Amino acid sequence: MCPGRGIRNFDVMITAEGLSKRFGAKTAVDDISFTVRPGQVTGFLGPNGAGKSTTMRMVVGLDRPSGGSVTVNGKRFAQHHAPLHEVGALLDAKAVHTGRTAENHLLAMAATHGIGRQRVREVIELTGLESVARKRVGGFSLGMGQRLGIAAAMLGDPATLLFDEPVNGLDPEGVLWVRQFVRHLASEGRTIFLSSHLMSEMAMTADHLIVLGKGRIITDAPVSDVIAGGTRSRVHVRSPHASQLADLLARPDVTVMRAEAGVLEVTGLDAAGIGDLAAQHALAIHELTPKTASLEEAYMALTADAVEYRSEAVR
Amino acid sequence: MTTITPTATHPSQGVPTMRLTFGGVLRSEWIKLRSLRSTVWSYLIVIAIALGMALLMSLSMVNGMSGGTDISGAPAGQQHELVMQASTFGVYFGQLVVGVLGVLVISGEYTTGMIRSTLTAVPKRLPALAAKGVVLFVATFVVGAIANLGAYITSSIVFGTDLELFDPNTLLTLAGGALYLALVAVFALGVGTMLRSSAGGIAAVLGLLLLLPTVLQLIPADWAHDIIPYLLSSAGMTMFMAIGADDAAIVGPNAWQSLLVVLAWVGVALAGAAVLLKRRDA
Repeated sequence: MCPGRGIRNFDVMITAEGLSKRFGAKTAVDDISFTVRPGQVTGFLGPNGAGKSTTMRMVVGLDRPSGGSVTVNGKRFAQHHAPLHEVGALLDAKAVHTGRTAENHLLAMAATHGIGRQRVREVIELTGLESVARKRVGGFSLGMGQRLGIAAAMLGDPATLLFDEPVNGLDPEGVLWVRQFVRHLASEGRTIFLSSHLMSEMAMTADHLIVLGKGRIITDAPVSDVIAGGTRSRVHVRSPHASQLADLLARPDVTVMRAEAGVLEVTGLDAAGIGDLAAQHALAIHELTPKTASLEEAYMALTADAVEYRSEAVR
Repeated sequence: MTTITPTATHPSQGVPTMRLTFGGVLRSEWIKLRSLRSTVWSYLIVIAIALGMALLMSLSMVNGMSGGTDISGAPAGQQHELVMQASTFGVYFGQLVVGVLGVLVISGEYTTGMIRSTLTAVPKRLPALAAKGVVLFVATFVVGAIANLGAYITSSIVFGTDLELFDPNTLLTLAGGALYLALVAVFALGVGTMLRSSAGGIAAVLGLLLLLPTVLQLIPADWAHDIIPYLLSSAGMTMFMAIGADDAAIVGPNAWQSLLVVLAWVGVALAGAAVLLKRRDA
């Protein structure tokens, strides 16, 4: 195939305005507004129960918003002439009848839009399902189910792709495959909206992050900004004069935490500054270790107040 | 498996005519219906029941009669009536099978999660329900017609009577039985859509077809007995069994009125299904 052929101008985006969803008394999504732009992977991050899946389901009209709206390329999903050509969605790996073969599932999905057998064969090859295409889906592993979901999402060659927790439960090979695949789709100019509850996964895949907690947007920024903002470095200080040192460090821009006897965790002053200060006052220091907060910690810090199921999200 | 060909995600020839159409949704539902084993089995059972029941009924009628009177001596009209009774007897059991099938066509999508794929491809939703209804109706009617025709031929052979396939009453009775089966399947589709559960849907449909007439029969009140002819299964039997019969001999609605009663049942089930399908989150 000649390069560039088939590459369309994917200037399609998802726009949510004041989007809300309530289930009875519970508010799953609370008045959120955001835009998902083409040509990059937008990560949708949040603890379990934050409202990510509900938001994605509203994009394709499976859930009806209680308030506000979400559009794809300026129109509600259902109003497009060829919905599968606009958005491909992997919302649930097992959104497939278990008694049907993978191939028949894809043929049935394709038929709605007049998509031919040739394209079905292509997405089967694309997702590496050739050997199991004629087998019934009931016997599929989670990884094969995920591939079939991606094959179905790709049927209409959509400009926008939604992936809800696509690597959940996959083995390392499957995780790598999904990651590469998603990056590749974004490089073609498609709009990719990818959810996960794992910050580390997002750091590998996403360009932009929308962080959701308790149904509200906490952060909407490029991944690099989120990481930079969340990772204030800390210094681990061990000293027999810990309490004297803590008094000396007591300044408005410095935070000191006493982790245990003789140990301080200092934020706001770097290791050199602490060492110099201790030397000036002739205080012995036994350990002085700079520590950079991990992405997970940055994420925890962001969502600390917004964790629905604390025991599940924080250990 | 883990490598990706850079250009492979695009269709080789683009997809120029891609568009969601009702014809496409019909084709999709047809593929879905025929690609499940439960469908194939259900339809084979309908045919087997029709032929088997026709054979059993005809044999027992012929034997029972030849013990007392000579069947060939009976009036032609009476013989014809017996043949028609024997050849449509299977419909009574066939309705249970297609009722279960009609529920499963939609409840199977809810229990497996397939419904989310269906409604993502057809986000306006009602075309998907309509296409399911059309496909199920046509397929069940064709199967029912084959089953009833086979049953009629079987009965005629056992009775030793001539085939009167072009007799309007014969044709209408056989086709009417098939029509009733198709309508029960569509009715069950509506119930299954409303209840979204295989067990609940099947219980509701079988309860209505089998249990309700018996229960009403047992209630010692006139109103209960007056309702019975208007039940789906009673009206359904009347709509093809009473074709050509003298209206005066029928208690309750005649064949054509019964057809309207059956259509009303189906219409109410489909209307409820449409409203709930459109309104609920999937």
